Amino acid sequence: MTNFMSNALEKLNNVVKKFEVTEIDEREVKIDLKPESVLPALSLLKSEGYYHLSLLSAVDWIDEGKFELVYILYSWNDGGKIIVSTKISRKNPEFVTVKHLWPVARYYERELFEFFGIKFEGNDDMKPLFLENWDDLPPLRKDFDPLEYSKKKFPDREYQKDVIHEAKIIRGDING
Amino acid sequence: MGEVKLFFGPNHPGMHGNFSVHMYVEGDTVVKARPLPGFLHRGFEKLMERRLWYQNLALIPRICVPEPDINEVVYALAVEKLANVEVPERAQWIRMIVLELARIAVHLMSMAGIGGPLGLYTGPYWGIADRDRILDIFENLSGARIYHMYIVPGGVRKDMTPKVQEMIVKFLDYLEGRLPEFENLIFKNRIVQTRLRGIALLDRETALEMGVTGIGLRATGVPYDIRKVDPYLYYDKVDFEVPTATEGDAFSRVYLKFREIPQSIKIIRQCLERMPEGKVNVPISEGNALRFRVPKGSVYVHVEASRGEYGYYVVSDGGEKPYRIVVRGASYPQTLYGIEKYLPGTRIEDVPIWLDTMGVCAPEVDR
Repeated sequence: MTNFMSNALEKLNNVVKKFEVTEIDEREVKIDLKPESVLPALSLLKSEGYYHLSLLSAVDWIDEGKFELVYILYSWNDGGKIIVSTKISRKNPEFVTVKHLWPVARYYERELFEFFGIKFEGNDDMKPLFLENWDDLPPLRKDFDPLEYSKKKFPDREYQKDVIHEAKIIRGDING
Repeated sequence: MGEVKLFFGPNHPGMHGNFSVHMYVEGDTVVKARPLPGFLHRGFEKLMERRLWYQNLALIPRICVPEPDINEVVYALAVEKLANVEVPERAQWIRMIVLELARIAVHLMSMAGIGGPLGLYTGPYWGIADRDRILDIFENLSGARIYHMYIVPGGVRKDMTPKVQEMIVKFLDYLEGRLPEFENLIFKNRIVQTRLRGIALLDRETALEMGVTGIGLRATGVPYDIRKVDPYLYYDKVDFEVPTATEGDAFSRVYLKFREIPQSIKIIRQCLERMPEGKVNVPISEGNALRFRVPKGSVYVHVEASRGEYGYYVVSDGGEKPYRIVVRGASYPQTLYGIEKYLPGTRIEDVPIWLDTMGVCAPEVDR
């Protein structure tokens, strides 16, 4: 862990009472927080130099019944990455928006609503971004099976033998 | 005069790939703009969860069409970090050579690309022709021109032969001779000077707020480069500079790309000199090399692509397949938030210039 990073985590200790720190390598740290302490932690880390939001995404832990939200913060001062992660319930997934901290998070949140069905309070613009006329489960959930979906949506067509036979005659492959 | 809704793209010669922008225009000034991605959504993140770690190698280069090698290196670095594998030294140097060659190829192509919106049609021919020489090198190295699938977890697929090294040296000598001609043709050209200087301005605060990385940020005067700040491979062992500019306009962004080419040449020359002999790959785990398992854990790995920070967040549950992979496209912030925030106020004819110089890349946004 770099000095810069440990300073930031120390200050975080004052704001957030309990959190787990996993050191992945010299410049990468993952911290697990409770949902209610994510927002204060993020705004503190932002003011401590981790002001670049590299990524905001989610992981579906279907066996636990949880969605893990992942905020990856990056600092240009020392090249440190802090992965802030929190787990929310999978049944009624809702969280608060961070678009006031990082405006680009709007689009990440919109994407998460589309692909996981996670709602973000305070972010009203939840129009579909990538998919068009989607009519099934949010596709990046683990219980969505793309193979079954495509079989249901695009069933196998049965071609009559005569048609192929005729086509061969027209093409001159066989004599009719 | 009333507002008119204008659909720009995906089928438009000035559009940058399969991407669309809905603009409300008044006269020829943009009042409101809305990005419309999704034309190239192929569901890579879902597909990767359903394939073996090794099978994904065929998928990942397709995520970013102009610069596929960064995908391979990010994926390989993430898997190695999770599995705690030490990669042979020679393989790391070869990876750096491939990455820098790819960077030169993209910069040459973008110098060709800027010819389109400006109507300067000699640039495209020159840029694409010189890029083709790099593709020849890749063909000799890996057997493929665009999607190499050459950088694999644990090293590179096969060794770099002396013949390829000779080709690279020859090409670098050739390119160094060509660069002054490129400068004369493109950057001293009157069309380029008048059409790009002071156009599509982006100041430092907006760039940082938007989360823009790479050339777009460096054109505002900050030397933020992941190769320097958070070095991966052996970028901390080679000597190179990060060119910056202070204007923050379209011209400085294109010119920065041009100024990065000599730095890449410098890096490749050092790599070729310092590359030791030896093995080029190691297995990730014991047993079947194609069905390896990766230990449980999650990492975020990012590299400096030609357009900015390009990263993968990889989660493994200890199985034969990745549990989840998230792709952070380098141009995600400027493509989605940037268009909505920045385009209002610009003129229609400057929109393609903004899209081109900010490096908007639809395939990595849609994924």
